Amino acid sequence: MTALCFQLKGRPEQRLDLSPLVPARLDGLNRKEIEGLSVATTREAVTVGDVFKVKGRDVQNLHFIGTDNRCDKIGAGLTGGDIVVEGDAGMLLGARMKTGKIAVHGSAGVLAGASMTGGEIAVRRDAGDQAGGVAFGETFGMKGGFIAIGGDAGDLVGERLRRGLIVVGGNAGDYAGGRMIAGTILLQGGAGRYAGYGNRRGSLIFADKPRHLLPTYVDSGVMEFDYLRLLETWLRGQGLRIRLGGRARRLVGDMAVLGKGEMLILS
Amino acid sequence: MPELKVKGVTIVETFAEAFPMVGTRVIITAPTAEWAMISARTMTGFATSVIACGAEGGIERILPKSETPDGRPGVAVLLFTMDVDKLQTQLRNRVGQCVLTSPGSACYAGLEGGKKLKLGASLRFFGDGWQMSKVIGGRRYWRIPVMGGEFVCEDKTGLTTKAVGGGNLLVVGKSHSAVLAACTRAVRAMADLPDVITPFPGGIVRSGSKVGSKYAGQIASTNHAYAPGLKWHPDSELPPNAEAVLEIVIDGLTADAIHDAMHAGIHAIAKGGARDGVTHITAGNYGGNLGPHHFHLKEIVG
Repeated sequence: MTALCFQLKGRPEQRLDLSPLVPARLDGLNRKEIEGLSVATTREAVTVGDVFKVKGRDVQNLHFIGTDNRCDKIGAGLTGGDIVVEGDAGMLLGARMKTGKIAVHGSAGVLAGASMTGGEIAVRRDAGDQAGGVAFGETFGMKGGFIAIGGDAGDLVGERLRRGLIVVGGNAGDYAGGRMIAGTILLQGGAGRYAGYGNRRGSLIFADKPRHLLPTYVDSGVMEFDYLRLLETWLRGQGLRIRLGGRARRLVGDMAVLGKGEMLILS
Repeated sequence: MPELKVKGVTIVETFAEAFPMVGTRVIITAPTAEWAMISARTMTGFATSVIACGAEGGIERILPKSETPDGRPGVAVLLFTMDVDKLQTQLRNRVGQCVLTSPGSACYAGLEGGKKLKLGASLRFFGDGWQMSKVIGGRRYWRIPVMGGEFVCEDKTGLTTKAVGGGNLLVVGKSHSAVLAACTRAVRAMADLPDVITPFPGGIVRSGSKVGSKYAGQIASTNHAYAPGLKWHPDSELPPNAEAVLEIVIDGLTADAIHDAMHAGIHAIAKGGARDGVTHITAGNYGGNLGPHHFHLKEIVG
C-alpha cells in the first residue's frame, strides 16, 4: 500500500492546525472524509482538501510534501505510525506524541517535540526555540523519546526536560537545558549563554567546551564514562555516528537548585 | 533389541532426568576481554550446584565488541536457581560482590521477557544518593559513582521460568585419562552452543550424587552405583572393565537447548572415544518420577 500523501497546493492564507492528520484519527476514513477535515486556525474555514492534494492510502505511513512553516502541529499527539515531512514544519511538531516516528527533511518551528512522552523526531535542518520544551498547559517538557536535530537549535532546547534524549548537530541558542529536571542533551556544536541554567539532575554533553559556563557548576575533573560508550553504541544503532569516546570533564550543577545535574565536556 | 553404538561406544538405553529451573542471563563488559572474563568467572565461581551453592551458573559465551551494549568486550553469563526469589537474591549478591567490585566492569540485561529481576534497581543504593538514572532507548541504566570511575548497570534483566537444570551425560571408560579427555571434548563442543552452561569445574563433575544418604541430614551422597571402587556391590551399574566415570551436567534456558547440547556432547565423546578407552555413555535419572524432563539418549543420538 502506498503512503498517504498530503501535497501542499500553495502557501496557505493562515496557519494550519494539522493535528487531525495522524494515523489514529485517519484510520477508517475514506478520501472524501479526509479531505473534509478542518485544519483551520482562524474563523475562515479551511479543510484538508482546500490546501492539500491527497494521494495514497496507507494511513500508518503519512507523507507531507512541500509543507512550509505555517503547517503547525504535524504529528501532534501521535500514537503510532510513521510521518515523513518533505518540507518544513511549523510549530509544535510532534508535540505530546507518545510513540511513532517523524522525519522532517527541512526545518521545524518552535516547540518541536514539546512535552512528548515517547517516539522519535528527526529534523534534518534547524529547529526553532524550545525544542523538547514545554507544550502549552503542561508543567514538564519532553518526558521520553528521542529528538535528533541535524542543524541548529534555538533557545531553550530541552526546557524543563524530564526524560529522553535530544541531539543537536549544530549550535544551540541560549539557555540550552534551561530548568531541565533530568534527561540528556547532546550538543555537537556550540551553545549560547546560560547552558544548564537551573538544571536539577539532567546531563548536558558538549562535544566542545562551551564559551560561557555558569558559575554555579563545580568542576569534578576528567574521568572515563562507560555511560558515554553506551550512548555512542545506541546512537550508532539509530544510524547516528557520533564519536563520544569515553573520557570527559564533569561539571556538576546547577548548584543554585538541586545540583545533581552535570555537564560532560568531551576531551 | 540390538545395542546402540556410536563409533564403538555403547549408548545405554536410558534417559537423563531433568528439572524445571528459573534462569537469567546478564552481560558483563570491561575495558578488555580478559577483565570481562575475570569478572564473569568471579560471579559464577562457587555456582556448581544448587545443593549448597545457592545457584548454578556459568559462562555462556564470549561476546565481541560488536555485540555488547557499550561496544566493549563482554561475556554472557547464565544463572539458575529453583525459584524466582532465590534467583533474585543470588543475582543481587553475585553482581554486587563480584561485578560491581571488578575494575572497569559494567553489567547489562541479557534476557528480555515479561517478568524481570532487579539488577541496578537494587545495586543503585550503593551510590548513597549520588547514583544517576539514565534512560536510553527506553531502557533504564544506573550510573553509580565508585572509586574506579562509574559502575554502569542496567535497571532490570529478564528471567525465564522455562529453564531446565540437570541435563546430564555419564561417561564410562577403561581409564580415567580416556574419560577425562572425552568429557573435555564434549564440554568444548557444548561451549559453542547458545542458551546452555555446564556449571561444574571445567564443565565436568567427578562426584555425581544421589538423593539422600544413610546419614541423617546429609541431603546428597555419592552415586555409589557408578563408583568404580564399589563394583563388587550388587547395586553397581558398571561393567567389570570400568575404571572411571565422569559426568557432564547441563543447565539451559530451554529444554531444546539441553537436547542440542547433549547431542553435541555425545558425538564429541564418541569421536575417537572407543579407541581411547571410552566404553559407555549413559545418563542419570531417578526412575522418571521426580523430574518432568526426560532426555532419552537413543532419541538424542538420532
